[in-house]
Amino acid sequence: MIATSTFCIITFYSKNISCLENQNVDAVIVLHCVFLRMACFDRASPSLKKILLKIYRAEKPLEIDHHLHEFGSVEYHIQSSVSDPHLAYLSISMPLLSQGDLQSYGISRYTTEMIKGISSDVVEIVEPAKAGYQLTLRLHFAKIPRNKDPVKIITDISAVQATILSSQLKEMLQKVNYDDTHQGMHKPIKLVYHPREPFYVIRQPQKIITVFPMRFKEYSDVIIATAFFQELMDVGISEKWAKAPPCCWSPIPPPELRGESFEDLSTNGGFVTFDIAPRHIKGKRLDKTVWNLLNFYAYVKYHVKCTKGFIQRRMRKRLDSLVEVLQKPNLEEDEYTKKVQVNAGCRRSRKWVKLPKSKFLKRKYGEFIKKIKRIRFRLKIQGFLRFRQRWLKIPKFSSSMKYKKLN
Amino acid sequence: MANTLRLYLTCIRNTLDAAMCLQNFPCQEVERHNKPEVELKTSPELLLNPVLICRNEAEKCLIEASINSLRISLKVKQADELENILTKKFLRFLSMRAEAFQVLRRKPVQGYDISFLITNYHCEDMQKHKLIDFIVQFMEDIDKEISELKMSMNTRGRLVATEFLKQFM
Repeated sequence: MIATSTFCIITFYSKNISCLENQNVDAVIVLHCVFLRMACFDRASPSLKKILLKIYRAEKPLEIDHHLHEFGSVEYHIQSSVSDPHLAYLSISMPLLSQGDLQSYGISRYTTEMIKGISSDVVEIVEPAKAGYQLTLRLHFAKIPRNKDPVKIITDISAVQATILSSQLKEMLQKVNYDDTHQGMHKPIKLVYHPREPFYVIRQPQKIITVFPMRFKEYSDVIIATAFFQELMDVGISEKWAKAPPCCWSPIPPPELRGESFEDLSTNGGFVTFDIAPRHIKGKRLDKTVWNLLNFYAYVKYHVKCTKGFIQRRMRKRLDSLVEVLQKPNLEEDEYTKKVQVNAGCRRSRKWVKLPKSKFLKRKYGEFIKKIKRIRFRLKIQGFLRFRQRWLKIPKFSSSMKYKKLN
Repeated sequence: MANTLRLYLTCIRNTLDAAMCLQNFPCQEVERHNKPEVELKTSPELLLNPVLICRNEAEKCLIEASINSLRISLKVKQADELENILTKKFLRFLSMRAEAFQVLRRKPVQGYDISFLITNYHCEDMQKHKLIDFIVQFMEDIDKEISELKMSMNTRGRLVATEFLKQFM
């Protein structure tokens, strides 16, 4: 569920979490919870919203024919033509939650009402729907009321898939059908929200039981999720959360699922059961409850993923501190060597510094001065001139940067 | 630190101090080769008796010494499944980055979670007491890290569970 709709959030989360990790662990956990809530409860499809906003905001009419795929099984088809710029068509195809409540065209009357409720002026259901899709909507962007925020209406339209799913479950929770009792027990309704993640709703006189068979690919995921379920049970038992639906985790299937196929009951993560009381589905709470139940799988999987990331980050951080201990002796040795070298260098430089300028020059040009003195000596020795010309000639200094005039 | 752990670590420290008397010794089988005898085990006269130090059944340390090398294998305690996966993950993570430690073995000895191989060259490059300090501190840190990881995982789980239940209110 969280795949595409939360990509941006996850990216932003991962960037922020690494910055915060060094500062405060509690802050990281709180941030994780906030992002978890944001990620799982974002109903609108971001890519669909982007396209619809593009059509709405376009100064020039746009010719658009887009096919979008989400979560492997949901498909959107968006059409907009130049000839009619304020009109767009949105078709949606998705697996229905339960095969039991199918209407002739795939969507129940209750769901239809819910969709119309988004904005009756803007959204119009086209019947029959486009071939290959369960629902086609005609969107009149020109009819968006001026007193309402257009972005909010477009966001609501982008959340049409969530609306359909929620309305299906809402309908099931609201309906009280006593015909499906079997030997004093109510028959479980299998809901396939995702092909690999079915869950069950069992109606009972006082409550509705939802059972989630949990399956994970890796063993480590099972352990992390199990630890989470234990915490969920512990938190649920506390008085503070007495109003929340009681939660129970068990490695074996609950007795209510007796008679279901072996494939559905074989899990590696056990079974999580929520007891939904009538107060949880009254008024505005119904929407929240339905959305939480639909997102439970995604919530758990996202928690497992984040926890694994947290472990990885922490291990990486720990590696540095462990290596540091081993590299300390080397560093100390290096420092000692450097110190010795630096001291040696200083001694030499001190020597240079101590020498006065005149002495330094005297030493450097002493030989040269002696030569000149010899040349200017008053006493003349026979043959010395020739000797002087040959051996005591002052060398001519020629610059390496010699320039030649070019003709 | 718990008293039992302190005794266990002191025992390991003293044993390592005694066992880490390594010298350069060329291979007796292959000319101009120098191999860790504790790994090859081709010449029994070059090997010392292995020492096994146990804190309990789940926590033990095997020290195998030879003339030019020393092998230390550790088994870290795993009280439950969560500790088990955390230990496995962490030690695998470290083993995969063995080059950073120089003395860490890529594959642990069978029956143990992690192994170190110290040769006479390591003793020459790094100081002996520093190597012993590293092994002992590594053992302390692993225990501490795993318990901290477990605690923070449970804290995260509790907070996430609270957030989930909050949605119903």
